[in-house]
Amino acid sequence: MRTQAIRTLALAVVALLALEGPALANHRPNNEVLIGGAISQTGPYAEPAGRQVNSIKLWVDEVNARGGLLGHKVVLQLLDDKSDIQTAIKLYEKLITEDKVDVLLAPYSSGITEAVANINERYKKPFVAYGAASSSIWEKGRKYIFNIVAIAEDYQKGAVHLAKQIGVKRLAIIGQDSLFPRTAGKGAKDWAKKLGIEVVLDENYPTKQTDFTALLQKIKAAGADAVISNSYFADSAAQLRQMRELNIDFKLYSSTVGPGLPNFAEQLGNTAEYVLGFSQWEPIPAILKHPGMKEYTEAYEKRFGEKPNYHAGGAYGALQVTEAAVKKAGGFDNEKIREALATMEVTTIFGRYKVDAKGINDHEGLTFQILKGHRRVVWPEKWAETKAELPMPEWSKR
Amino acid sequence: MERSDVRNLYRLALFLAFAYSLPFAIGLWYGAVRVDERWFGYLATVVLSGILQGGVYAMFAVGLTLIFGVMRIINAAHGEMVMMGAYLTWVCFFLLGFDPLLSLLLTLPVAFLFGVALQKVLLQAVVGQPELTALLVTFGLGLTMIYVAELIFTTDFRTIPYAPGSVQITSTITVGQNKVISFAIAVVISGGVYLFLKLSRLGKAIRATALNAEVAMVCGIAVRRIYLITTGLAAALAVAGGALVSIQFGFNPETGVVYTLQAFTIIILGGRGHYVGALIGGVMLAVLEGLVSLMIPNGTAMIELAAYTLMIFVLLIRPGGLMGVKDA
Repeated sequence: MRTQAIRTLALAVVALLALEGPALANHRPNNEVLIGGAISQTGPYAEPAGRQVNSIKLWVDEVNARGGLLGHKVVLQLLDDKSDIQTAIKLYEKLITEDKVDVLLAPYSSGITEAVANINERYKKPFVAYGAASSSIWEKGRKYIFNIVAIAEDYQKGAVHLAKQIGVKRLAIIGQDSLFPRTAGKGAKDWAKKLGIEVVLDENYPTKQTDFTALLQKIKAAGADAVISNSYFADSAAQLRQMRELNIDFKLYSSTVGPGLPNFAEQLGNTAEYVLGFSQWEPIPAILKHPGMKEYTEAYEKRFGEKPNYHAGGAYGALQVTEAAVKKAGGFDNEKIREALATMEVTTIFGRYKVDAKGINDHEGLTFQILKGHRRVVWPEKWAETKAELPMPEWSKR
Repeated sequence: MERSDVRNLYRLALFLAFAYSLPFAIGLWYGAVRVDERWFGYLATVVLSGILQGGVYAMFAVGLTLIFGVMRIINAAHGEMVMMGAYLTWVCFFLLGFDPLLSLLLTLPVAFLFGVALQKVLLQAVVGQPELTALLVTFGLGLTMIYVAELIFTTDFRTIPYAPGSVQITSTITVGQNKVISFAIAVVISGGVYLFLKLSRLGKAIRATALNAEVAMVCGIAVRRIYLITTGLAAALAVAGGALVSIQFGFNPETGVVYTLQAFTIIILGGRGHYVGALIGGVMLAVLEGLVSLMIPNGTAMIELAAYTLMIFVLLIRPGGLMGVKDA
C-alpha cells in the first residue's frame, strides 16, 4: 500500500516537473530568455577564460541582432567564479535554483568543470563544455554534460601519425608526473599501438625537474628515434636545449603545451625550430574553411582588437551548438535540449560537433610545426598550411 | 679521533657504497645496464654532467651556509635571490645586449649592495632572535620578491639562448658548452670566496664572528659591519648562481623555491657551515639523481625520493652532515 502511494506521489512530481520545463521561458517578462554561467574573470584563469567571455558577448549580441533565440531576446547573466572551484559550485547552484536560467553556460578549466558537472547533473540541466580537455569528466556516466574540444588523449595524435609517416619504428614517451601530461601520454601510447610503432620508453619526471641529461641518455640507450613529450614550457624548453647541448638527434620531437605559447620560439631562438606542438583551433579561415569562420574571426578582431585564439573559438562553437540544440528542441525543455545535444551533428566555426555515447566530441585538433619562428599547421593533411619538415635536421647541420 | 667516530665513518662509507651501487643492481636486473662502449659513454656523460651541475648548485648553497654560519639566520629567500640573479642576467641580455658572463661584472656589485641594504633594513633586527623569527622574516621577503618579479616580468617562463653548442670529450661523451662554462665560473667564484675567507684579514674576521660573535666583538671586530658584508657576499653568490642557472634552464618568478630546497638539501647533506662539504654534497646529490634516472625503470619519477632518502640516512649516521662537526 505504502509503496503504491510513494510511487503515485513520485509520478505526480515527475509529471509536474515535466510540465514546468517547457513553460519556463515564457514566464519571463518582455519575452526574454535568460542564459547564464559562471566563468573566471579574475584569478589565474582570467586570461584564457576572458577570451571565452569575449566570444560569449559577441554571440549574444549577434543572436539578438538576428531577432533572438526562437524569437526571445537573449539576456546574459555572467558571474565570476574567481578561478575558484568552491565559488563556482555556489554560483551554479544559484544560477539554476534562484536565477532559474533557461540555458546554462560552461565554466573554464577541467577542474572547475568536473566540480560543476555534479551540480548540473543533479538538476538535469545540460551544457556544452568548452574549457575542459580531461576525458575523466565523461567517464562517470554523466548525461547532461557534453564536450566540444579535443580531449587530452588526442593531443599527440597528429605527432604519432607524422612519426608513422616518416618511418619511426621506436618511440619514447616522456612527460611530467601530473594528471594532464599522464593522460596525454596514455593517449599517445594507444595511438602508437594502433599504428604499430613500438614504445621503447615510457617515463615520467617530477614537475620541477630541470636537468634531463640522464633521461635523454636513457632514451638514446633505449634506441628511440623520436620523442613524444607531454610537457609545458620550462620542461620542454630544457629538453630541447639539452638535446642540442648533448648533440642527441631525434627524427621528431613533439610537446603538448610549450610550443603553443607565443613566446616559446622567441625565447628559444632557433633551438625551437622543427618542433611539433598541438592546437585545438587556429584563426585561419582560408585553410580550415568552417562555415561562418571568416565572419566570426573578423567580427571578433574588430571588436576586441586581436585575433581569436582557440579558447575564444571553442566557446563560440559551443554556443552555436547550443543554439542549434535549442532550435531543434523547439523550446527550452531540458530533456529535449539534452536529447538534441546527444544526437545531432552540426558544423560550427570550431569544426564538426557529434558526440559519442559518453558525450565526448570527436574534435579534430591541429598539429603545427615551428618553422622560421612561426607556427604552421602540418596535420591533419586536409588542413596543412605546409608540409612538415621531418625528420628534424641534425643539430650539427643547423 | 675517537673509536666511535671511526666506526661511524665506516658505517657511512658502507651506506654510500650501497646507495650508489643500488641503481646499478636494479639496472642490471632489468637489463638497462649494458657492457659496451656506447653505454659506458652514456654513463660517463651522466656522471660528468652531475659533477658539473653539482658545482653550480654548491656555489649558491655556500651563500646560504654563510649567512647561517655567521648569523644563525635561515634564509628562506635564498632561492628568490637566485631567481633575481636570473632576471638581472635576462635584462642585461635581452634589453641591454650584454654577454651573460660579462654582465656578472654589473650584477654582482648590484647584488652585493642589495644584500647590504637587506641586512641594514631587515635582517639586523632579527640577528640574535630565535631562529623562527628570522625564518618568518625571510619567508615573507621571498614572497615579496616573487610578487614583485611577477608584477614586472609576469609569470611567463624565460630562458637565455646562450652557448647552445656541445663539447665533445670523447666519441661517446658529450656535455653542453654552457654547463662547462657555468661550472668553470662556479669553481672560480667559490674558490675565490674560499680563499678570501681563509686568507684575508676580513675573511678571518668573518670566520671569527661565525665562531663566536661576542668574543669577536671583544677582540675589536666590528661585528655589525661583518654582518653587512656577509649578507652582501651571500646575495652575490646567489645572484651569480642565478646567472649560471639562467643560461641553462628556463625560469619564472616561482622557480626560486626549487633552488631554496636544493640549497637546503645540499648544506644539510654536506654539513652546515662547511664550504667543502657543500661542494661534495652538491656533486653527490646531482650524480645520484642522474644514476637513478638513467638505470631504474621509470626512475626519473623517483629522483626526489632517492635524494631525500640519501639525506635522511646520512643524517641518521652523521647528524652533522658529511663534513659537519659532531655537535653541529
